[in-house]
Order: sequence, then C-alpha cells, then structure tokens
Amino acid sequence: MSEEIGINQLERRDFLRAGLVFGAGAAGLAAGYAAVPDAFARAVYAAKTNGVHNDRVLVMIQLAGGNDGLRTVIPLQDPKLHDLRPQLAAMSVGQALPITADFGLNQGLKGVKALWDLGKVAIVEGVGYPNPTFSHFESIRIWETGDPTRRQVDGWLGRTLARAYDSFGHPLSGCACGATDVPGALRDLQATLTVIENQKTFGFKGTGELEAAVGALYKGTPGVYGALFDTAMATARESIATLRTSEATYQPKAQYSDQARLVYSSKNQLAAALQLAAELITTGTGVKLLHVTLGGFDTHYTELSRHDDLMGYLDSAVGAFYQDLAAHGVADKVLIATWSEFGRRPRENASAGTDHGAAAPLILIGDPVKGGIYGKTPSLTDLDSTGNLKYQVDFRAVYQEILGGHLGADPREILGGAFDKLGFIRDPAGSF
Amino acid sequence: MSIAGSLDDPSQEAAAGPRLPVSRRTVLGAAVAGGAGIAAVRVLVYPRVEELLHGASAVTGGRGDWISPLGAEKARVAHLLRRTTFGASLADFERAAGDGFSKTVDRLLETPPAAPPPVPGTDPATGRGPNVAQLQLWWVDHMLSSATPFAERMTLFWHGHFTSDYRKVGAQFPFILWQNLTWRDMALADLRSMLMRVTIDPAMLRYLDLATSTGQAPNENYSRELLELFSLGVGHYSEDDVRAAARALAGWVEPRPTGTVDVTVDAKNNVVQRRPAFDHPATGTFVPNRAYRGGPVTFLGKQDTYDAQKVVDRILAQPATAAFIARKVVQHFVSSRVDESYIARLADTFRSSRYDVKTLMRAVLTSPEFTADQSYRALVKSPTEFMVHALRALDAPQLSRLAVQAGPGMGQGLFDPPDVGGWPNNEAWISSNSIVARVNFVGAVLGQLKSLPSGADAPRHVDAVLGPATARLLDQAADDHARWYLALASPEFQLK
Repeated sequence: MSEEIGINQLERRDFLRAGLVFGAGAAGLAAGYAAVPDAFARAVYAAKTNGVHNDRVLVMIQLAGGNDGLRTVIPLQDPKLHDLRPQLAAMSVGQALPITADFGLNQGLKGVKALWDLGKVAIVEGVGYPNPTFSHFESIRIWETGDPTRRQVDGWLGRTLARAYDSFGHPLSGCACGATDVPGALRDLQATLTVIENQKTFGFKGTGELEAAVGALYKGTPGVYGALFDTAMATARESIATLRTSEATYQPKAQYSDQARLVYSSKNQLAAALQLAAELITTGTGVKLLHVTLGGFDTHYTELSRHDDLMGYLDSAVGAFYQDLAAHGVADKVLIATWSEFGRRPRENASAGTDHGAAAPLILIGDPVKGGIYGKTPSLTDLDSTGNLKYQVDFRAVYQEILGGHLGADPREILGGAFDKLGFIRDPAGSF
Repeated sequence: MSIAGSLDDPSQEAAAGPRLPVSRRTVLGAAVAGGAGIAAVRVLVYPRVEELLHGASAVTGGRGDWISPLGAEKARVAHLLRRTTFGASLADFERAAGDGFSKTVDRLLETPPAAPPPVPGTDPATGRGPNVAQLQLWWVDHMLSSATPFAERMTLFWHGHFTSDYRKVGAQFPFILWQNLTWRDMALADLRSMLMRVTIDPAMLRYLDLATSTGQAPNENYSRELLELFSLGVGHYSEDDVRAAARALAGWVEPRPTGTVDVTVDAKNNVVQRRPAFDHPATGTFVPNRAYRGGPVTFLGKQDTYDAQKVVDRILAQPATAAFIARKVVQHFVSSRVDESYIARLADTFRSSRYDVKTLMRAVLTSPEFTADQSYRALVKSPTEFMVHALRALDAPQLSRLAVQAGPGMGQGLFDPPDVGGWPNNEAWISSNSIVARVNFVGAVLGQLKSLPSGADAPRHVDAVLGPATARLLDQAADDHARWYLALASPEFQLK
C-alpha cells in the first residue's frame, strides 16, 4: 500500500479490517477473568457465500444471576425436594401450574403455560456443562462464548453473526436491546451490531449539522480504542437512521408493561426491550439475532416472593412479545430462548434462599418449537460432590439445535464440535 | 451553534481539506486556536496501513497510537491530574505544573479528603436516609466542588470494588451512605482494615446476605465474593474454601439501633416520626449463637478455628491477593494492557508495606509505566469521570443533575452497579448506545449554559493532541460553543 494513501481515501471497510489488529491482543482476557476483554473492535465483513439466507430470528433472554431451575420447572412428585428445601418446596409445589404428571411451571408462568398447552414450549431438562464453576462471571463467560475450556474470547452469537450473516451495512443484524454495552454473547471482532438501551433516547439531540459534525469527529481516530470508537459512532448513525423508519411504521399489537412488582431486582426494562425487539422484527430491519437481559435471579435470600415476581414479570413480557409477533403474522419466524449462567443449590440456606448451583432447565418458546420436555431430569438423590445437580445435557447441544435447526447456520463451524441432537425444532431449516 | 465547513453533506466530509499524507510522525502544525498552557499543538495523522496490519504487537502499543506528549513535564502533570482528578482548571493546572510532577503526587496522596457536606434529607446519626436521587446528586455535587477530587476518584474506585447497590440495601436507611463515607475515609488505608471493615459494613452485610447467614446453614454469597471479587480472584481458592469461609464468617448481623430519635418529616404540619438511631458510623454486631460451632475448619490450606479476622489474615497470607488488587488499580489508573512483571513488582511493594494502599498508589503513580508513552490515552473515562470532567471544564456545577440523569443511559448510575462485580471498564464503556448518550450529554449541558469559558481553553482539556478529524473540525469551529462541543464530544476527551 502506498504511503500516500490518506485516511480519507480508505474505505470504512478497510479501516475496520485494520481495526482488527487492535483486538488481536486479547491478552487481557487470558490474564484472568478480572481483565475485561481486550479491545474487540467490531469490524468488517466478508461475503458469506455459505451464509444464512432465510428470515428466521432468534431472541435470547438472559436470566442474570443464576435462575433457580427447581422453582421454574418444578418436580411435583419428588419427596426429596421437601427434605432439601423445607422453607421453599411446599409453596413452590403447591402453587405450581402442572404441565405433566411430574412437572409444574412456576405459578408466575401463566402465559408460558398457555403456550405450552398450544405446543409452543420446549423444556430441556438438566442443561449444564462439565466441571461447573460457581462464579457468576466465569459461568456467564462460558455460556456466552460457548466454551467451557475458557479459551474462546468471542461470543457464540457474535461468531454466528460474523460467519453466517452479511451484516456489513446492516448494523441491526445483531442487536442488544435494553443494554448499555455489548453483551458477551454478541461480542466478536468481525460482527457489526447495535446496542440500544432505550429507544426513546437513542438518537442525536440537535440539528442535522450537529449530527454530521459528531459523525465526522469519529473518523480515523488513532489509538487502541480508535476503531472501536469509530465503529460505534458509524453503527449508531446507521441504526438511528433505520429506526426512524421502523418507528414510524410499527404499531404494537399487545400490552407491554414494565410496572412489575419486584421486591429487589434489576433495572432492566424487559418489556420495553422486547417491544423494541418486536419493532425491529416486524418492520423488516433485517434483524436476526437479538439479546435481552433480565437481572435479579441471584436469590440468596427470601427467594419465594422474589423469584415468583421475577417469573411473573418474565411471563408478562414474553407473553406480550409473543402476542405482538403473532398479531403481526411473524411468530412462525421467531424462536425465543432463555439462558442463565447456572441453576441454584438444591439445598436451601439459612436466609430462605439458595446459593449458586449447576444444571437447570432451559425454556424455548415460539411457533418454531415442537412442544415437550427434552433432556433428562437430574436426580435429587444423586448430587455431585458440591451438593449440586449433575448436568444431563451439554448447553452446546441446545445451541447446536438453535443454530442448525432454527437459524440454518452451520453449528459445527461455530461451536467447534458436534453434540447430541435434541429435536425441539419443529421444522429444521437445515441438517446438522 | 455553528460549525463552518463542508459538513452540509456528510458524505463529503471526508473529502474536505487537503489529503492527509499518511506517515506516522507527521505533524500538521498548529491547526487549533488556543492551546493555552501547552505551547505546541500536536496533530496526529493516521499511521501507515502496513504498520497497522503487521503491527500485531498490540500489547506493546506503538502503531497507530497517539503521539504521546508525556516526554514533557507539563504534559505528565496534566496526565496525572486527568487520571487522579476530574481534570483541572487552568489555575489548578498551572499551580501543579509549577510544583512539578513528584510534588503534585505528594500533594494528592498527603492531602486529607475534604469532608462532604451532609446529604440533604438525611442525618447520618439517625435511621433516616436520603432517597437515591438525593444521594447521587449529593455525590456528583461533591465531585464537582471538592478541593480534593483525588479522594472522590479513589472513593469511586472502591465503590466499584467493594460494591453495594441501593436497590437491595435500600437508600431509606443510611447504610449505603455510610459505605460511601467509609470508603472515602479509608481510601488510602491498609487492605487488612478494609477487608475487615467491608465484612461488617452494614450495607455489605445486607447486600451479600452475610447478616442472614448462620453457621448451621451458611449463606455463601458474601464468602464467595470476598474471595473471588474482593481479594484473591478466581482460580486461587476452591469450593471448599468458599464453604469454610462461609461457616467462619457466619454470626455477623446488621447493627442494632442504640436508641430512637424523633425526626420531623413534615415541618409544615409538624409531623414527627420516631426512628431508630445508630452510633455513626455503625458496623455489624456479632451474635455468637448464630456462628459456626463445629470446631476447626480448613481454609486455604490451613486448619484453624476461624473468625472473620482470621479469615482476612489467611487471605492476606496468599500472594495472589496483592497481585489481584494491584492489577485492578493498574487497569483503572494506568493501562488496560497489563504487563505481568509490572503487576508483580507493584504486588511486592504492596505486600511488603503491609498492604498499605497509599504506598501502592504512590508506587503506581511514580512508576515509569504510569507516564510511559504506551500509557497515554490507554484508558477510557467512565461515564461519571467523563461527565464530571466536562462540567468542571465548563465551570458548570449547577448542572450536576444532568449528570445524575444521564449516567444510567451510559451504563453508570452511582450506588447502582450492574452486579456484584461493580462496573466494567475501558472497552465496555464504548458502544453505539453509549457514544450517543455521551454526545447528547455534551449537547444538553451546552444548551443550558448562557455563557461559556473561553473556547481557547477547550483544547487544553484534550492536551491539544488531536486526531485529524478533531483537529480539522476544531479549526473550522466558528465560535466557543462549537469549540467546546467538539472538544468534549470528541473521542480524545473520552480517554484518560
């Protein structure tokens, strides 16, 4: 390349590719988890010759803090539950919404129960991974990267975006709704994606001249963060322009409410985040992979009411979201899946709560799902050496099915291996 | 505001002006008006693309970087003030520059923290606490006006480390306020005292549930985070250690009121409420019959009959603790790229000083690494640092409420960390969402100000070391409003 080529002449794409160098040193991450991942300049694209060419959409809902699986999909007949949880079990079982002879959903999941009755809910029992960590941050990272060996730096959704979608010029292909920063699952050097905390405030206040000026400010920024800053600004401007159109055309067809009764919980506005997701999906922005988070699941104390409230809030937001998608005629394209870094300890503690656990059920919702219970329920009488549930299904088997069955991407390329098939997708988009 | 130049059509903006020759050390000259306090205006252009692509030594820096001005004493002083305060006024900068770098370090470390004023709506001695908005405003106001902003930076650092949030602790109690006062008082204390104090801090007792734990059915929440997040770091303890410490620490409960106090809650209608009163600052109470009575346990390889102090001392006997704290300090004050030999050196100093935080901070600030060229602009300002610096630069403390309102949208509400890990740093502060929120904050502040400080002072707040885009736009700025807007909204100003 000539020395005389000015930054002015550089295509944004080339600049972004150059930005990769900044991200190459993920040394910070390798040095220990306390190190936040190194500059992960989002960048570039390459033509995706074998990429995904369909209109399917994935919405991942993170239940942050470690959701108590034993109070989500509740074993109704196991007497051992009452031994382990004298304060928590009776109310959980007594008020559960039965879905089979053996299982009931948490009483707050009324909308999910209604969808279960329609065959639109798949529950995978016993999901986890070998040698579980009980650190929130380590386990979140394992779920986000899809790598229990902790070597992978990029997120599994970010890798999917980078490898299977042509996201260049389409910054909304991947979107974190209701977040202020990039969730680890979407993080990838080569994925273009957008973060929108609040749609009402996501836009430049001021004149067009002002917006052009700040756009021009973030061009060719030097330094290790330069590419990150410049892509953030360019992505924001493109997304804001797209959102102006979608905002004008979208009419919600369900009642979303964040007026949830929560004793102590997160700041997340889950319903608003899912409503934004619905807007992006129904107005043809080309969105493919969405991520939202509900916090507050770290129920070490007074778990009963707090967890019920969270379940009720989740249910109401997901219920409205599904209803909105169905009314817009796109429910057949959208898979909703929950994930959480771990379940909770079967034995309760002195605070009428539960400590960090391991395996837990994972819930998938939507028209693409073949309703039923999958996986295998871990035994309450055969706990591991830490007193936790033994996992029966590797979480990457669930990812594999989402990627291959629902999205039609190549899961082996993204996950680096093959896992047991589960079969919860009704009409697989591809073989895997 | 008016920004002259060919910006009407954004697609043309890159083509404006002469072609910039791409050569690493080219200085285009004085493109910026002003630059008070620093003589030369340094303008960077982008490096050769080949250098970028082959310069894979991202850890050592060097390619595509800002031209560091840190060879000059004055620039080192500006760098020091940017990282340890919220930016300096011209007068403060000139005084510090006159004192020189090492004398300024001494002054920062040796000046006792200015005590914050009482929080409106509260009396620390009583059971009455402020609401969270009052509390956030109070702290931002103090960051803006305090004569010892370094104490506020350190308090903010410890607030993110030994963190608690108002949602669980409740702002109606004074506990979360006391925790803030505690970290200001202890910001440069010794880690042994701090670890003991955080264990029995009333807000922490509630936030991580130690207050409801018992020796018979321990709640592991505090024990785990004490080891993972506060001292050793993951990988330096086992699950058995978490359980052993949970037993050893059980028995501490929230402080008991020492009496009651009548508080007038509605002066007009003479409404008085009787509330619990505490000795301030209160700490937790130990209740022996809630403690573990099962005899000796093995913790971090040593069998003993542990209490909280013995747990802390056993943690401090592990080399990993000093390194863990030193690494966190370095990532906050020096660079996001951690050189392990540097960490080891600082950890040795820290440990051999009996974990004296002031000694650690002095070692950090006076280390060659702190003022190395690779450390220049190697950190991203947190939202609070960015907003308080902007308001100080504009001499606009009356607009503190804008900072309180805008913080959560940028990812940082005070007393409201995202989780027990506190706030992330550096890269995590940069997203499409947060860049919009930061730029809008600058616009909102400028929109409320009738008069501005001279725009000639604006480039000083970015060291007058500018990327080509910022240099060109500042050069074209038609008035002070535009100069301040561009300087504070620029990527340069987001860095520290």
